[in-house]
Amino acid sequence: MSRHMAPEELLLDYAAGGLAEGPALAVSVHVALDAGARRMVDRLGMLAGALLDGEREAAVGDEALLQTLARLDGMAVEARSEQAAAVAGPVWAPPPLRRYLGAASRWQHRRMGGFDEMPLHLHDGSHRASLLRLEPGRGLPQHRHIGDEYTVVMQGGFTDGSGSYAAGDFCVGPDEIHEPIADAGEPCIALIVLANPIVLTGPIGRYLNPLVRRGWL
Amino acid sequence: MLTAEEAADLIAAIAARQDRAAFEALFRHYAPRVKAFVMRGGADAEAAQEVAQETLILVWRKAASFDRSRASASTWIFTIARNKRIDLIRRGTRPQIEVDDWLNAFVGEAQDAGKSVETEQTYTKVKAILADLSVDQLAVIRKAFFEDKTHTVIAEEMGLPLGTVKSRIRLALGRLREKLEKDEG
Repeated sequence: MSRHMAPEELLLDYAAGGLAEGPALAVSVHVALDAGARRMVDRLGMLAGALLDGEREAAVGDEALLQTLARLDGMAVEARSEQAAAVAGPVWAPPPLRRYLGAASRWQHRRMGGFDEMPLHLHDGSHRASLLRLEPGRGLPQHRHIGDEYTVVMQGGFTDGSGSYAAGDFCVGPDEIHEPIADAGEPCIALIVLANPIVLTGPIGRYLNPLVRRGWL
Repeated sequence: MLTAEEAADLIAAIAARQDRAAFEALFRHYAPRVKAFVMRGGADAEAAQEVAQETLILVWRKAASFDRSRASASTWIFTIARNKRIDLIRRGTRPQIEVDDWLNAFVGEAQDAGKSVETEQTYTKVKAILADLSVDQLAVIRKAFFEDKTHTVIAEEMGLPLGTVKSRIRLALGRLREKLEKDEG
């Protein structure tokens, strides 16, 4: 089990299906890699079932039952769905991530930062997601986040002011300025999901917008 | 009241021989509960009943894919109901977790009989633990599962500090973990 598990309230949001696509992707990658998180999601599923079992009963008449039974006429029970064939992808990418890696996905070198980046396409515009690859000893430029940030390590590890993160570890965006450095060994590969800054509109919004972008608000 | 084992047996009977009596028993247990659960999210009785019927129809169609070693019947049906509710009421603007995906997230181990007994026993324990949670803790967890709200939205809606909502969740899940792990030895 890894040392940094996603916070339980986030696992609850995930299990209940309330998370937006970006954070849900980050949590699903973490859950695929971390046995402890998987066990918690499993228990949360049981809790959801238990809540349903203990739910009060709203009146459903016999008529509704008969109507439903009538609809079953000629409706076959489908054959067991075979486990979908494993999606191919790099060894370090767990299955939930592989769906986001297309033929066009490739590493792009960011000369300014000294790291490689592979942007991912999310359908939901509230977040953006990228894979980052850092050679051992290399760091990301010092930065600060204005919105939520979720990081999941998939290979290697990194260390910043808040601790060391290894494969499977989950990190919720530090509020502080941070400067992660890749640990020795294999290159560090991590999924990063960032909340997009809220774009304000209207005259006051236009005035405020540059401030939002600079992270002053 | 159905036990976890009985409910799983009923689903198995549908899968094995399209057993309509088994379907009727599942319908009588789950349809009123799914309807109540959907109404908690703000749906009217008619729409909620439609979701309940659609959910049970899917239970029939997908019965052969239910794997009792991986989830309890109630968990599986909850997941179907949740997705049906999003389908029918919200007309899904958000990518949803597919039933299979969600259950696949749980475990990768091979299916075996011992594991299904264990799953059903653990589920029965989880049900018992629900009775130990405080009203406040239950309210937060129920809102998350039944109303599709994140803990941040729940805090706003209930007019509570975010830290209070987080600590209710952590206390409830800590209790769950503690009780299950004590029994596992």
